[in-house]
Amino acid sequence: MSHMVRIHRITAAGKGAEMAEGNGLSVTLDAQVYDLWAVHQAAYRLSDRLAIQVAIEGSTIQCTLYPVTEGTNSDSLLVARADFLREVTDQMLRARIREVTEPVRNLILAYTFSRSGLQK
Amino acid sequence: MTRFLPAEDYLPSGRYELLPFRFERLDDERVLLSNMAGEALTVSSADLTTLVNGDLDRSGALFSRLRANHFLRQPEDRAALELLALKLRTRYARLRDFTSLHLFVVTLRCDHACRYCQVSRQSADRASFDMSRETADRAIDLLFRSPNQALKVEFQGGEPLLNFDLIRYVVLSITERNRQHKRDIQFVITTTLSLISDDTLAFCREHRIFLSASLDGPEDLHNANRPRPGADSHARFVAGLEKARDVLGPEAVSALMTTTAASLQRGPGIVDEYLRLGFHGIFLRHLSPYGFALKTQSYQGYDTARWLEFYEETLTYIIDLNRSGVRFTEQHAAIILRKMFSCHDPGYVDLMNPSGAGIAAIVFNYDGGVFASDESRMLMEMGDDTFRLGSVHEHGYDEIFSAPALLSALEDSFTLSAPMCADCACEPWCGADPVYHHARHGDPLGRKAESGFCQRMKGMTRIFVKAMEDPFVAALFRRWALSC
Repeated sequence: MSHMVRIHRITAAGKGAEMAEGNGLSVTLDAQVYDLWAVHQAAYRLSDRLAIQVAIEGSTIQCTLYPVTEGTNSDSLLVARADFLREVTDQMLRARIREVTEPVRNLILAYTFSRSGLQK
Repeated sequence: MTRFLPAEDYLPSGRYELLPFRFERLDDERVLLSNMAGEALTVSSADLTTLVNGDLDRSGALFSRLRANHFLRQPEDRAALELLALKLRTRYARLRDFTSLHLFVVTLRCDHACRYCQVSRQSADRASFDMSRETADRAIDLLFRSPNQALKVEFQGGEPLLNFDLIRYVVLSITERNRQHKRDIQFVITTTLSLISDDTLAFCREHRIFLSASLDGPEDLHNANRPRPGADSHARFVAGLEKARDVLGPEAVSALMTTTAASLQRGPGIVDEYLRLGFHGIFLRHLSPYGFALKTQSYQGYDTARWLEFYEETLTYIIDLNRSGVRFTEQHAAIILRKMFSCHDPGYVDLMNPSGAGIAAIVFNYDGGVFASDESRMLMEMGDDTFRLGSVHEHGYDEIFSAPALLSALEDSFTLSAPMCADCACEPWCGADPVYHHARHGDPLGRKAESGFCQRMKGMTRIFVKAMEDPFVAALFRRWALSC
């Protein structure tokens, strides 16, 4: 599922963030606006720094961010939260590009291999 | 009545259509875009959003750049799709040709004891570590099963000149059999040049054999990296180089360097040594996480971030040399830039997708074991035979090239479906490296967020993009891209 929303750059961490239990930081995203796939993609991209637990609760996507390395202070966790939100936005943008260019991508691939003898 | 229409009549009309592209943020302000064919552009972060939202000014310079480079098209631009398809087909053209590079590990014995070496043995026991004629014959059978018209036969070691009789035998056998096959065959010996002799060179000249040598930098650094009895590796290299150039010609000998922790402070000095010895370029190479490099802690001598610092400093020095009129190329950059600036793949095995393992290069080990890549046999020396595809003595061509170990590694590491790679702007000029990721992360795909391979490629791309803000460097890099 993806939403055809206009993309706006997130420059701050946004609302809905608070410290969760176990040194994690909780981030709440509106499931009407954010795509769950984009959240997973962003979580993977940041997996060298953060372990991110994702859960659906009603109309929200609940993300809890845990630092991977020991000794991460609250300031760097806040920076990581901002990076996570920016990455989710980038993933939304990527999904949008993929979606609107899918027909032409398939057309180009068909052209590319049209004389290869590989197609069924 | 005017004879000409106003300029506005030639402006694009209607809504533009996005063509497939990927992006990667370089920093807070700039974004790198790449299209399906691997062509790259840098735009501002705000422009990316405007582009995707369909609000780009059709009369602006950015619109023209994006249209000319196939990131968008007007509804009437039918040629754009055909051109993109042609470029994409060209980019993958090598796949159809299949395996070109065939490495013959003719011995593991070596006169050097390099700390970072993956495989060499100091043993004088010829029977244990030399390839036999019987093994070579079976490997040659497999070589001629490759459908590729252009075959490259590379002799590796240890120090391959310690088993030069076998090299002579293989070259003569292949040459004889090729009278029927009529392939384009190129021979290369990878050597330290320490044991090169007049007889060896005469044979190399007769059969147009190239030499790929090793030079780590100035004498003290080279000798420290490459210990041998007499501590004279550098002196032997210089003497061997002079002799080889006299007999084979100046372009028949190339050199490769390996970056150790001791090299990190000495980038410009290493380049100066290459210049002093008459080379026109250098390949700045990092250590690989295999074999003795791991055992002796050489690999832990620096991390990817530190190697990138070394790389940027040395590349800047090389750029400044060119600025002062000295023509000198960083060949690692040239390979990647060729992919960024053109749809032609230079065929560098480490940066291919699907991975070049097996389907671009294959390794015949001294004992007949067949490996998907040179790194695969290094892994074997550490006790991991994951990428051993079979044996020339026990398996046929079909069994080896359809071995599950090869097919699953190619499929699992395929970057167009790998997480993070599939939407990465660097994907077109990067590659899958199942052996590296298996060695580091335990599976052929690896975890890209933690991958040193991924960090290195993205880091190098950032260095190139930043450097190309200087018009001189942009022109220089285009020249390198076209020359490799």
